[in-house]
Amino acid sequence: MTTSTPSQEILLQIRDLNKSFGGLHAINNVTMDLPAGVITTLVGPNGAGKTTLFNLITGHLTPTSGTVHWLGKSLKGVEPWQVARMGIARTFQDLRLYSQMTVEENIMTVMERSSWLWQGGGAAATQRVNEILDETQLTEKRHERAVDLAYAERKFLSLARIMASQAKLWLLDEPASGLDPRSFERFVTLLRAYAKRGITICIIEHNLDIVIKLSDRVAFLDQGKLLAQGSSEDILKDPHLAAIYFGERA
Amino acid sequence: MIAYLQNIAVLFCINAILALTLNFIMGYAGIFSLAHAIFFGVGAYATAYIAMHASDSLLLCMAASAAISAVLSMALALPALRVRGEYFVAASLGLQVIGVTIFSEWKSITGGLGGMIGIPRPKLWGYTFNDDTAFLGLALVVLGVVVAIIALLVRGSFGRSLMAIRDSESAAQTYGKHVNAIKTLSVAVAAGLAGVAGSLYAFYITFINVESFMLETSILLMAMVIIGGTGTLFGPIVGAALLMSLPAALTYLPFLPPTELGSIQQIIYGLAMVLLMMFRPGGLVGGRSKEKSA
Repeated sequence: MTTSTPSQEILLQIRDLNKSFGGLHAINNVTMDLPAGVITTLVGPNGAGKTTLFNLITGHLTPTSGTVHWLGKSLKGVEPWQVARMGIARTFQDLRLYSQMTVEENIMTVMERSSWLWQGGGAAATQRVNEILDETQLTEKRHERAVDLAYAERKFLSLARIMASQAKLWLLDEPASGLDPRSFERFVTLLRAYAKRGITICIIEHNLDIVIKLSDRVAFLDQGKLLAQGSSEDILKDPHLAAIYFGERA
Repeated sequence: MIAYLQNIAVLFCINAILALTLNFIMGYAGIFSLAHAIFFGVGAYATAYIAMHASDSLLLCMAASAAISAVLSMALALPALRVRGEYFVAASLGLQVIGVTIFSEWKSITGGLGGMIGIPRPKLWGYTFNDDTAFLGLALVVLGVVVAIIALLVRGSFGRSLMAIRDSESAAQTYGKHVNAIKTLSVAVAAGLAGVAGSLYAFYITFINVESFMLETSILLMAMVIIGGTGTLFGPIVGAALLMSLPAALTYLPFLPPTELGSIQQIIYGLAMVLLMMFRPGGLVGGRSKEKSA
């Protein structure tokens, strides 16, 4: 089922993963891999279990059964902050910016893993913050609070934080929803650039433009089950999956 | 008259330290504690006990008060910090009730309801702070040190971590912040410094009992922080100055009946809080409103 070639290192390995909330089987026996340097998009109708899958990977939820391995190490019982330090970062659908902090502080604090008074690499850290501000075109807003930004700027700040995280795997939850066409193009360009630099990206997205323009592979989830994995052309052309996606299930 | 003003000034310094330390957890970490008076009390009782039974050394008593308050805060806060928001407020209220009960019932250590009388003034390198002017100098120095410690903490990475946790705990975790450790440490720092304020208070008043560490004190401290400006360095100092000087200022208004001053004071506090929340929710010093600017 996987489209990864034998030469590609498997960063994240999910095996027989299940998550139930009472009688609801939110994730149902999902098995999939995230190979290094590949952009994977998770698609599926609302309630398919896409965000739940992210929460299980990042330790925000504990699986009912099954395993998640990161670079060969089991993530069972690993706290979200430890998962982050191992190299997995995520964004949230509702962004969860540090709303009362400035744009610059939002980025800086992500770069500071520990909370010691004195952090190493002061000048290098400042330079990296400047680079990220430049890449996300937020330089002029650096001293503004996150809560005072326009919607598209908030989206880019969310992206700026994950850029600052130095994570190898980015899990992006609907990162492009609500972006105007110009911002959308900037966003796609940025993601492509980071993918080229070796970042592995997994995106939850409803916007089919993103799926087509960015994805190396697509995984289709419905009612907690992984129904298919493959190239975006194969998945999006499948009439059965399209019917499920657009709510035309028999 | 000078003695009266000195007295107000010393009490201002003590309350400003308490407001600063409460703001450290409330304004920066988003931990709304109604038990701050307990850590103030622990510091005061620790100093009183040590000064009366072992040594009246200023540094020893202050260090012991800070350490005992900090350690106790961790023991008490560790389970409570697992809950968030309004649940923590309720848990801290529980801590406040437990603390007051212990202060009033553990007679062999706290003197019970009668309290502890005859606490000696502190000694520092052979000098005894018997003179109130000298004690005011000491209180100002301690206040300055506390301001410096808090400024150092909140303006660095620790402060950014606290604010990140305040604004979104789940996002802070997602970006590698060990939320429970940072919150516990911040409560310990705040409680330890509140213990220092308690030490100063016990040495200054030379008599303590449970009346000074009741829920009313915790609420008054919270009012100082909110009126001055949460999440600002100098807001709590302004709040403490206002609320400490208000009772004295009212006594100088001849048209107010002296027997009603207490009630008038309460009405003014309440009114000030309501008006501030309506028109300046960030407090007097807080330039940043909590919501999105228009």
